[in-house]
Amino acid sequence: MSSALGYLGLLAALVSAAMLIVRGMTGLRRTERATPARTRLAALGLLVGTATAMFGLEFGLLTNDFSVEYIANNSATTTPFLFKVASAWAALEGSIILWVLVLAAFTYLVWLGHQRRGDGDRLGAGALMVMGMISLFFLALIVTVSNPFRLCITAAMVGCAESGSLPFAAFAAPLEGFGPNPLLQNHILMAVHPPLLYVGYIGLTVPFSFAMSALLLGQSGVEWLQRTRRWTLVAWIFLTAGILLGGLWSYEVLGWGGYWAWDPVENASLMPWLAATAFLHSAVVQLRRGMLQAWNFMLVIGAFALTILGTFLTRSGVIVSVHSFTQSAIGPMLLWFLMLIMVGSLTLFAFRIHLVASSPRLDSLASREGAFLLNNLLLTLFLFVVLAGTVYPMLIELFTGSQVGVGGPFFERIGLPLLLILIATIGFGSVAPYRSASRAVMWQRLRNPLRAVLAVVAMAVLLGARNRWILLTALVTGFAVAVIVRHLWASARAAADGQARQIPAAALRVMRNDTHYWGGQIAHVGVAVLALGIALSGNLGVEDELRFEPDQTSEFAGMELTYIESFVRQESNREVLGARIEIRRDGALISTLEPRLNRYFQTGQTVGTPSVNIRLGGDLYLSLVAISESSASLSVFWFPYIWLIWVGGGICVAGGAWAWLVKKPTRRRLVAEAHDGDAVSGGNRA
Amino acid sequence: MPEPIRRIVAGLATLGLAIVVVVGLIAGEPSGSDRVGSLGNRIRCPVCQGEPISESSSETARAMMEIVAERVESGQSDGQIVDYFRDRYGDWVVLDPPFRGATLILWLLPVFALVGGIVVILGRVRGVHVEGNELEDPAP
Repeated sequence: MSSALGYLGLLAALVSAAMLIVRGMTGLRRTERATPARTRLAALGLLVGTATAMFGLEFGLLTNDFSVEYIANNSATTTPFLFKVASAWAALEGSIILWVLVLAAFTYLVWLGHQRRGDGDRLGAGALMVMGMISLFFLALIVTVSNPFRLCITAAMVGCAESGSLPFAAFAAPLEGFGPNPLLQNHILMAVHPPLLYVGYIGLTVPFSFAMSALLLGQSGVEWLQRTRRWTLVAWIFLTAGILLGGLWSYEVLGWGGYWAWDPVENASLMPWLAATAFLHSAVVQLRRGMLQAWNFMLVIGAFALTILGTFLTRSGVIVSVHSFTQSAIGPMLLWFLMLIMVGSLTLFAFRIHLVASSPRLDSLASREGAFLLNNLLLTLFLFVVLAGTVYPMLIELFTGSQVGVGGPFFERIGLPLLLILIATIGFGSVAPYRSASRAVMWQRLRNPLRAVLAVVAMAVLLGARNRWILLTALVTGFAVAVIVRHLWASARAAADGQARQIPAAALRVMRNDTHYWGGQIAHVGVAVLALGIALSGNLGVEDELRFEPDQTSEFAGMELTYIESFVRQESNREVLGARIEIRRDGALISTLEPRLNRYFQTGQTVGTPSVNIRLGGDLYLSLVAISESSASLSVFWFPYIWLIWVGGGICVAGGAWAWLVKKPTRRRLVAEAHDGDAVSGGNRA
Repeated sequence: MPEPIRRIVAGLATLGLAIVVVVGLIAGEPSGSDRVGSLGNRIRCPVCQGEPISESSSETARAMMEIVAERVESGQSDGQIVDYFRDRYGDWVVLDPPFRGATLILWLLPVFALVGGIVVILGRVRGVHVEGNELEDPAP
């Protein structure tokens, strides 16, 4: 029943996508055909069809309809409600249903924008055509090789042994399902991290579609940029939040104490983020100064191609990792699609470049544009390093059969210095005027922040701080933050007309008056905080292996850890084995931690759940390795100030949200920056 | 204080602070005084899914960590210890690709890309070589 409903939804969506392509194409070619009314049914049908498919899958999961192979093998009667819902995207076939649903939602939102423009919007019609093509590909992928609605025809004791490709065939339903992968049903973040990442990935389809439409029309100028700026921002916000929560999930669930392993699939999410971040910056240069037109097309094509590459890496089984789904036939198809996208869009770009590329030259490197260029150079370089380090080992293995290792040390040795230079660029670029920055203006804006941060770091050196990386990071991040704070202070003071008590309110007005610029600055502060968290927790962290007998106490990082007892707990889907450990400092009880091992019944796998005591000074992180009647072995970690990473990432997301959601005040025209004695030449609007 | 003296004092103070910071950076320790841990980060656990031996809880990884600790204790250099594992497991076991052979290109590509990028950007600057290019805004 759920299977038939879902399958019908897919077919309806498939037809709608085909219709969207045809109607979008005629609208692209002829102005009088570019009317929203002609594409309404197709856009709506795509959304309703994919939503029906998702509903069918969720309905089947919640009603334990094990006649569907996907449900029998990825859910169980004992699976808790939330994880039943999340099972819809916990495995390959279901995850692509979510994928097309998000894509259809974006397509419908683009159609609404198309409708607001009224008749004759050829650019919008073309973008809808491109989105229809991408939807059609993924829908075709689902109904041919990756169908989650296949019916089970041979039931096993648990789960489904064999399934038939016909959706309405006679079926056999097993009594009990397998349940989700234990790693994926161990934490609530599993329900949240993938959808956020999908919204981020798929949001990048929108600027890509508009860019392709603009190229097809041979349309130069900034219309496609203006219309997709908000979508790029939305995609960026969700991508950032998704990556951040992925790191948090890894930290909270996997028990190895880390949050980022430079796993190829993590890299696959980082690469589009780097491209999108570079694009958010370079789009400003084109909107403000008309430069970098061709480069922006390249970045958008690159960002979209990287999302497809990421999808391929995750779903083709070419890599082994916690993220990868099982091997399947969709890998080669995704690879072909990636090739098609690359060849098609780059060919189009090559044929149209003479129409769209007109680059006024840079007046001076010492300017806002110069800083943006440096930012783009560094971000693209970082992207290039991550791409090379991820793909190169696979190519070597493919062609020579020999395996080479490229892991964390490689990426960190190149990436961390790049990150520091980028943050230093924030300090300079955020307050540099456009066209050219004179030394006098820059010195006025930078001298006090520079002195303040030098004073703080010098103090730290005199007090005995010796770690080179931490000092350097503190210097660079402190400088960037101080420059931004000073700039806000100066702008607010000018806007408050010298009345000291008005300054906080004026600062808020200044920030609301130019949400894009100040949203960006909030995100910059977030990046600085995050970098400081990486440096502190990475360089000052300590770890140890401790083996306890009952009532034994061990010293670790200035704390006393006492093993109290072991415990066993039966839950509906798993058995929980844990150790109760009391943490004391100077004899006073701080906390009781319970690191656990969970054994899942259906698969027999054991997955740990670390236990973390979070304090301002740092996290004490206990991970249970083994436990028996007489002893418990634990990995213990001390990560100073690691919360700065999560807080910094959160500030980043908040900055994006500020630029996206906060409305400019309309009634009172503000006089904020025009008054700022040193914020001349419109230095702020970005 | 008269303005010129005030400026000189402020300049000297800034310079003094900068010297303290620079000396601190130069005299500072590079991170990772924990040699066993940083070596462990560079060696891949052969039985796990792309984890270094320092982070894996498998028995193989633990045994390898003990070998690393023993060899650090007996005074071997980082290079010797890494080579010991490379001889046994091949280049694959090192997470840090060697600066030679097939992976040399991996280290050099970013350098080429950086140089290429800088050349392209400099090419876009109007009159970058003209008369020192001193740019002064009108007074702020």
